[in-house]
Amino acid sequence: MSQDTSTDVVVVGAGPAGMTAASCLAQSGVRVLVLDEHMAPGGQVYRSVEKVTDKRSADLNVLGSHYRNGSKLVERLHSSGAQYWPGTSVWEISAAGEPTLAVGVVRDGRVRLIQAGHIILATGAMERPTPFPGWTLPGVMTVGAAQTLLKSSGLVPDGRIAVAGSGPLLYLYVSQLIKAGKKPQVILDTRPRASLQAKLSVLAALTVDPASMFRGLGWMREVRREVRVRERVHRLRAGGVEKLSSISYESCDRQFTDDVDLLLVHDGVIPNTWLAMSAGCRHHWHVQQRCWVPTITGAGQTSRQSVSVVGDAASIMGADASVLHGEAVASEVIACLEGKQQNAVGNAAHPFLVRQQRLLRRCLDQFYPPAQEFELPPDDETIVCRCEEVTAGQIRQVATLGCVGPNQGKAFTRCGMGPCMGRKCGVTVSRLIAEHHGLGMDEVGHYRIRPPVKPITVAQLAELEIDTDAHTA
Amino acid sequence: MFRRRERVSDPVTIWFCDRAIEAAADDSVAAALLAAGIACFGRRPVSAAPRAPFCMIGNCFDCLVEIDGETNLQACLVPVRGGMRIRPYPGYEPGNDIKMSEL
Repeated sequence: MSQDTSTDVVVVGAGPAGMTAASCLAQSGVRVLVLDEHMAPGGQVYRSVEKVTDKRSADLNVLGSHYRNGSKLVERLHSSGAQYWPGTSVWEISAAGEPTLAVGVVRDGRVRLIQAGHIILATGAMERPTPFPGWTLPGVMTVGAAQTLLKSSGLVPDGRIAVAGSGPLLYLYVSQLIKAGKKPQVILDTRPRASLQAKLSVLAALTVDPASMFRGLGWMREVRREVRVRERVHRLRAGGVEKLSSISYESCDRQFTDDVDLLLVHDGVIPNTWLAMSAGCRHHWHVQQRCWVPTITGAGQTSRQSVSVVGDAASIMGADASVLHGEAVASEVIACLEGKQQNAVGNAAHPFLVRQQRLLRRCLDQFYPPAQEFELPPDDETIVCRCEEVTAGQIRQVATLGCVGPNQGKAFTRCGMGPCMGRKCGVTVSRLIAEHHGLGMDEVGHYRIRPPVKPITVAQLAELEIDTDAHTA
Repeated sequence: MFRRRERVSDPVTIWFCDRAIEAAADDSVAAALLAAGIACFGRRPVSAAPRAPFCMIGNCFDCLVEIDGETNLQACLVPVRGGMRIRPYPGYEPGNDIKMSEL
């Protein structure tokens, strides 16, 4: 196999965790190749940060000071010596020749296999699925999607906008919109009344990290001054024929209907585990964050010897903690490559910062729990699997017939078998089945994810050059 | 649904069916189509229900389109290129309610 298709470490993803891990490794003399699905480094949080900094100063002011921090991480990546491939999707991680891994990628329409001694998955987070009646209509999209359009192309919503759900990103984005001169008509806050535990966690976070907390409280104060917020929203529905035209909901026991052109929803983020799952890494249900996470020992070692995970892909930790985690995982991988025994490297480098980030995250997890109606859609007609248009009622029906897991559910309903491979329904389908049978999430399990996890054509596969020597063993 | 904050300085032309669309050279296909007011990127094979981008980061696959004859491409991940010809997923014209069961 030619030189350019083998490397010591492959890093998948170029957000704060992936950029930091790759920079640390390259600066220690390890050969690193960073594979990024997007066209420039930054991940989602620092999406397009180089372009915005260089060419769009008006947008830079709108996006705020925290966004600017991304430039330093990008500069460090570029000067580290790590090789960076933009526009590259990973469709398979094969362990047929472990400890050497074969990483299947598609780049510029060409498929190839890269051999690596170790892989670090820095695949980041994705927004938690928020199923409700009408959420598949054009005109309904996530808050993260709208923010991506602002960062990558300087787009702001037009017409009448409603924003629904909860979480820090929702308030950050609306505060950015206000700076850009656009006010939503209404915010529909689906958060339940804060528990005593949540209030105490706010106090704890204020003590350890007042700067971050005041930044977040600042967004909320600004937003609430400018935009009407409906509290304790239930029974959200989106209506329209070919696209969204109205929404209806209940707030504090009153019924509302609004005409809107765009509805942005958000209910926090969960790790993007699809590559780790397809690579055969063990996962378990994270009770506090209510999502699947890879099972980790040390800093980022998965159940598979040559596979590590870092940042939000490991569990939701946020951009700043992801940088710290990137450093820790890089040290662990270096020790592993050198064949040294691991003595719980952990996050030993910055114990105070790590503790600070952990308390901040606990506060956010408790203050913004996922809305119960998004987790377990009460209306049977709600589409759960967007691709195959399978409803919550159909999942409940097959559970009644005795279906005890999401993989069995596929055979009955095709849920999770469309192009997204269950990314947008996996958590919901497992939750519905677990709820029906009164089982724990780890008993019910998650979809089995098989490669290719990104679309490739038969022609691309046929053109793949296979090193036959490596596969005869 | 969306408008640009600033005018595009050096636009490239792409095509959605027979409609010419001006895009910024560094737009993704999805951003360019949304900025041009395209509300339906394609229809689901099950019910022919219309779809548009939902997540914009490569996970939902609701932005799938056909580009220059290659099907099932994620419009949010593909950068625009002048002259690109885009058709809706999975090849139906917008507004045409063909159902798989009728084929």
